[in-house]
Amino acid sequence: MRNPYEVLGIREGTSVEGIKRAYKELVRKYHPDQYQNNPLSDLAEEKLKEINEAYDYLMKKAESEERNSSYRQQEEPRYGNNRENGDRGLYDQARIYVNMGNTAAAEEILNRISFRGGEWYYLRGLIFMRRGWYNEAVTCLKTAVDMEPSNYEFRDALNSIMNANRQYQSTVYERRGYTSGPDLCTLCQCMICTDCCCECMGGDFIRCC
Amino acid sequence: MFGYIKPSVQELKIKEYELFRGYYCGLCKSMGRSFGVLSRFALNYDSVFLGLLLASVHGEKPVLKKESCIANPVKRKWIVKESPGIDFAADINVLLTYYKLKDDIRDEGGWLPTFLKLVFHKGYKRAALTNKDIDRIIASSVSSQISLEKKGCSSTDEAAEPFANMMMQLLASGYSGDDKSVPRILGWIGYNLGKWIYIIDAFDDMERDIKSGSYNPLLRQYKYENQDIKDFKASIAEEVKVGLLQALSQATGSLELLKLDNKGIISNIAYEGLYGKTERVLNCIAGEKRSCVRDEESIRGIGY
Repeated sequence: MRNPYEVLGIREGTSVEGIKRAYKELVRKYHPDQYQNNPLSDLAEEKLKEINEAYDYLMKKAESEERNSSYRQQEEPRYGNNRENGDRGLYDQARIYVNMGNTAAAEEILNRISFRGGEWYYLRGLIFMRRGWYNEAVTCLKTAVDMEPSNYEFRDALNSIMNANRQYQSTVYERRGYTSGPDLCTLCQCMICTDCCCECMGGDFIRCC
Repeated sequence: MFGYIKPSVQELKIKEYELFRGYYCGLCKSMGRSFGVLSRFALNYDSVFLGLLLASVHGEKPVLKKESCIANPVKRKWIVKESPGIDFAADINVLLTYYKLKDDIRDEGGWLPTFLKLVFHKGYKRAALTNKDIDRIIASSVSSQISLEKKGCSSTDEAAEPFANMMMQLLASGYSGDDKSVPRILGWIGYNLGKWIYIIDAFDDMERDIKSGSYNPLLRQYKYENQDIKDFKASIAEEVKVGLLQALSQATGSLELLKLDNKGIISNIAYEGLYGKTERVLNCIAGEKRSCVRDEESIRGIGY
C-alpha cells in the first residue's frame, strides 16, 4: 500500500477534519458519476479504491467515529419496460456488449433489428458515447427520450452527459475563484445583522446606522 | 493542431508562467537545432502542450538555462533543455507542418507553400526517419480525411474521427515508461482534445469556408442554405457546445487519472484555457475574424 497521506494528497499529521476534507474532495473528483461515459472508468474506480483504502486506514488509525460518505458500487442500470418481444433477445445481447465496451459487436446486433423504437436509439446513443461521438450520441438519446418520454433510463443517460458538462464548467468557475468566499451582498447582510444584534444588546457595531 | 491549446495566462502563477515560457522557448530552440532556423516559424502552442504533458508524465526534472534568442537577442530568458518530451513534440510539430504544407499546395498551390515545403523537406525527412510509425499514422489520417471530405461527410463526429484518432495515437506513442494504463489514458486525452480542436476549428472557420466553398462538416450537418451566417451560427452554437464540453469533460477527467508534475500549468490549460477558448469561439458569432482574434491557423487545412 502506498503512503495513505500521499494518496490523499495531504501532509502527515493532518487533522481528522483535514483528512475528511481531502477525502471528500477526491471522492467528488473520481466519483463514478464523473466517469459514467468515460472508457477509463475502470481506472477511476481503481483510484477511488485506493483513496478509500487510504482513508479507511487513516480513520481507523485516528480511532475516530466511522466514516459516513463511503462510496458504494453503483447498481447496474435497470432495464426498460417498453420492449418489443421479438427483438428482446437481441436488445439484451446488445446491452451486454455495450456494458462490456465492445461497441462494434453491439452495433452489429443493433443493425439486425428492424423495428427501431426508443430503446434502439438509446442503445445506439450509448454506443456513440463510448466511441466519443458525443454529438451523434446526444441526437440519438434525445430521439429516444422523445419517443418514450416516460422512460427514466433514457432520460438519465441524457442527463448524465449534461451533468458532466455542467461539472466541468463549474470546476472552471471554482478554479477562477468566482465561488470562493462570500460575495459583497452577503458580507453587507452579515454586517447589518451583526449591527442589529449588537443594538438589541445595547451595543453598536456600525456607528452611523 | 495549430494553436488552440493555450493557458489562460492571467490565471497562472508567475512561476508557472515562467516555466511555461521555458518550455515554449525550449521547443522553439529544439526545433531550430534539429531542423534548421526556419522551422522555428512553425512553432505552435499545441505542440508546447504536448511536450509539457509528456515531460510531466515522465516526471522529467526540467533543466533550465538562461539563453538569448534571435527573436530577442538582448534579453536572456529561461529555457528548458534536454527534455525528451520537448524533443518528441518538436518532431511532431515538424511532421504535422510538412503534411499541412503539402495539403496547402494540393488545395491552392501558389509559391509560398511550395517554397516552405522545400524549406521543410529536409527537416521532415529527418523527423520521419526517427519516427517512422508516427509518420505512417499521420499519413493514413490525412488520406482518410481526404476521402471523407470527398464524399461530403455530413456528420461532424465522423469527419472529426481521423484527426481525433491521429491525436490519440500520437499521445499514446509519446509515452516510454512501463505503466500500462498510461498510454490508454494519454490516448483518450488525445482523442478528446483532437475532437475538440477539429470541431472548434470548423466552427471558427465557417465564414471563410463559405466564401471559398471549402468543405466544412458543420455546414453539411446543419444544412446551411445561404441564410445569414450569424443566424446560422447562433442557431447551432448550443448544440455544438454540448459536444465540445463533453470532449473537454472527458479529457480533464482522464487527466485527473495521471500522476503528473506541473499540475498547475496543465490544469490551467485544460480547464480555464480550453473552456475560455470554447466560450470565445462560440460567442464570437458576429465577428468577422476567426475567434475575433487572429491567432490561429486552420487545421482542417490538413486533408483537403
